[in-house]
Amino acid sequence: MAAHPSGGGFSLFEAEERVLAEAGNLRERLAEADPELKHGVETLTEAYRRSVREQRRLVRVSDRLQAQLASVNQELAKRKAEAEEALTQLREAQETLVQTEKLASLGALVGGVAHEINTPVGIALSCASHLADATERIRKLFEADDVGVEDFEHYMETATDTSHLILGNCERAAALIRSFKQVAVDRTSAERRRFELASYIGETLTSLTPGIRQAGHKVAIDCPPALMVDGYPGALSQVLTNFVMNSIVHGYDEGRSGLLSITVDEPTPGTVRLTYADDGRGVPEEHRTRIFDPFFTTRRGTGGSGLGLHIVYNLVTGPLEGQVTVESEPGKGTRFILTFPRQASGGETTGE
Amino acid sequence: MDNLVIAATERSPEVNFDFEGGQLSLKGESYPEDASSVFGPIFAALEQYLVQAEGKTVTFDFNLIYFNSSSAKALMNMFQILDDAADRRGVKVEVNWRYAEDDETMQEFGEDFSEDLEHLTFNLVPTKG
Repeated sequence: MAAHPSGGGFSLFEAEERVLAEAGNLRERLAEADPELKHGVETLTEAYRRSVREQRRLVRVSDRLQAQLASVNQELAKRKAEAEEALTQLREAQETLVQTEKLASLGALVGGVAHEINTPVGIALSCASHLADATERIRKLFEADDVGVEDFEHYMETATDTSHLILGNCERAAALIRSFKQVAVDRTSAERRRFELASYIGETLTSLTPGIRQAGHKVAIDCPPALMVDGYPGALSQVLTNFVMNSIVHGYDEGRSGLLSITVDEPTPGTVRLTYADDGRGVPEEHRTRIFDPFFTTRRGTGGSGLGLHIVYNLVTGPLEGQVTVESEPGKGTRFILTFPRQASGGETTGE
Repeated sequence: MDNLVIAATERSPEVNFDFEGGQLSLKGESYPEDASSVFGPIFAALEQYLVQAEGKTVTFDFNLIYFNSSSAKALMNMFQILDDAADRRGVKVEVNWRYAEDDETMQEFGEDFSEDLEHLTFNLVPTKG
């Protein structure tokens, strides 16, 4: 203890002790003095003695508090190191999880592609085999100079049917491969430029007019006329195309038509919010959570690949550096809300 | 006289002086920026009470988990006042210095504070939890 007198005779309160000793001497010399004076000096001495004791105690109080503070600080530093370590581990685990998730979705993608392509390729293959057999038969008849009109007519029929089927199924397989390539959008090769959003949306919708008109839908676009975006128009166009195709294919019951609307605003400066909505039959809740998953479709077997909205998701979170959410209630239409920065990262584009 | 009840704040203790029942208590933490504003009213009430407490029994519970140096000085002053009241006014004063049983610092504070007190009963009371 710092205030303790032991330890080589050193005392923090040596001066005070000396004063008290002198006070003792003084009192002795006052033995014959006025009792009132003597009493006064004694009171003073006693008060001083008490004050020194208090001072010693306060020094100890202070020392203890500082020791406590030091150990709390040590504990704090230890906890901080532990927390930082835990955070690092957590980040690593998260990174691993993201990688695993990416691999899993890639696996699902490849599996889905294989599954999708298997059907048309299988059909094309058996048709080709059938055609080859028929061709071999007719060739033998031809070489034996024994081809009857009926044989030839039959062969022509087979050849026409099978080649149609082969062609159709190969086209379907090719289309599937194209959409697969879309999924794996190359995020760097797409062209970046500054463009006027309103007119670009207009152009994209114009290119979709045949399909929209055939389905009998109307289109409403509400976008600030001078809003410039510096980014990837190709990606945005694909996103809009997928929204519109989705509404045409899935959005409405057979024979129904409605209004497709695109609304653009800037919720905060520098952020673009594009809301695409139809007023169709909506998406049931159990589908809504999986709507951006690859190969999720309610129309497998009738031409749906289940990739459209997955492509949207990849384009929005990739090149557009934004987010996309879906809101829907059965019978009350579907609404996709897209937010992305008005200027993509990686420096400003000067060209138009 | 009226009881003194002051709720604890982040930096000052809960005060509960039941003068009628002779039960006084200080509880919590004490490291106010301005010690006099916290302890001023406490001392005023305590001194007013002690002058008229002749022959009475007073139990004072201290249940503090943390205090700063100013508060320590205030506590020592308080013990002195209580000791004087026991000495000069015949008040029976019992102090219970309560501290968590594993809190050595609080125990040592209690031991230190009790050193100079000759006329009151000073109990060191370790508590669980």
